Amino acid sequence: MEHLSYTNSQAKLDAIFSALADPTRRAILSRLIDGQASVNEIAAPFEMSQPAVSRHLKVLERAGLIERDIDQQRRPARLHAQNMASAVDWLNDFRAFWGTSFDQLDNVLFNMKQDKTKE
Amino acid sequence: MSEKTEYVLERTFDAPREMVWRAWTDPELLSRWYGPGIETIIHDFDLQPGGAWLNEMRWGENADFSKMVFQEVIQPEKLVWHHSSTDADWNIISSPMMADWPRVLLTTVTFEDLGDKTNVRLSQIPMDASDAEIACFAAMMDGMSKGWGGGYKIIDEILKELQ
Repeated sequence: MEHLSYTNSQAKLDAIFSALADPTRRAILSRLIDGQASVNEIAAPFEMSQPAVSRHLKVLERAGLIERDIDQQRRPARLHAQNMASAVDWLNDFRAFWGTSFDQLDNVLFNMKQDKTKE
Repeated sequence: MSEKTEYVLERTFDAPREMVWRAWTDPELLSRWYGPGIETIIHDFDLQPGGAWLNEMRWGENADFSKMVFQEVIQPEKLVWHHSSTDADWNIISSPMMADWPRVLLTTVTFEDLGDKTNVRLSQIPMDASDAEIACFAAMMDGMSKGWGGGYKIIDEILKELQ
């Protein structure tokens, strides 16, 4: 957990993980990999009303995972990748915690066996 | 939901079970490997049901405190503890890293005797968690074991984009 200290990144991560906890929102993010899209275009494959899609987009926008154009009427949404990277870092840190610790345990056990042989 | 909200890590270690048990339950040995490449200080280690392991990890200017309260100690087969983040006075707090991280994780470690080797299974499950905490943990577990239902594709794309 080295590269995240006690910072304001905490609120950001919470928003990102609650945004990612919903399968529809993950599907919307997948859709946006292929490029920006309007609410209509995003709603089409989901059999979901436009207001429902708009609500999901708002959550994603607040988490900083997407950006929306203010100027255009269609307000297309597009992926904002940098914030996703901080969530990925956190995930990797958690995974690394026990994984790396277990690697270190391997070394400790190796040394214990060496010591025992010497006795 | 339940399968998603359990974190499991299994590994076979190349040492007999008594030795692996010692590496987990002797604080001097435990502090050598617990925590990824950072300094681990064990302030107290009372290995019995109701007893606590008070742990501090330091890196750079940062410190991270956690308290593990043992529930079951069955030498050399099984350890069960409640795992929480704490402040410097060992009061249980929300994770300083993530507010929605569950406050208490039921942690079960089993040691299976394979002769010269030992299989260790570590499991962590949120306890008395709010919906938000379960969602946060599930999103993480989902991300780790099942790739966010295609979410790793997103991550791969994004990481490519960032390079």
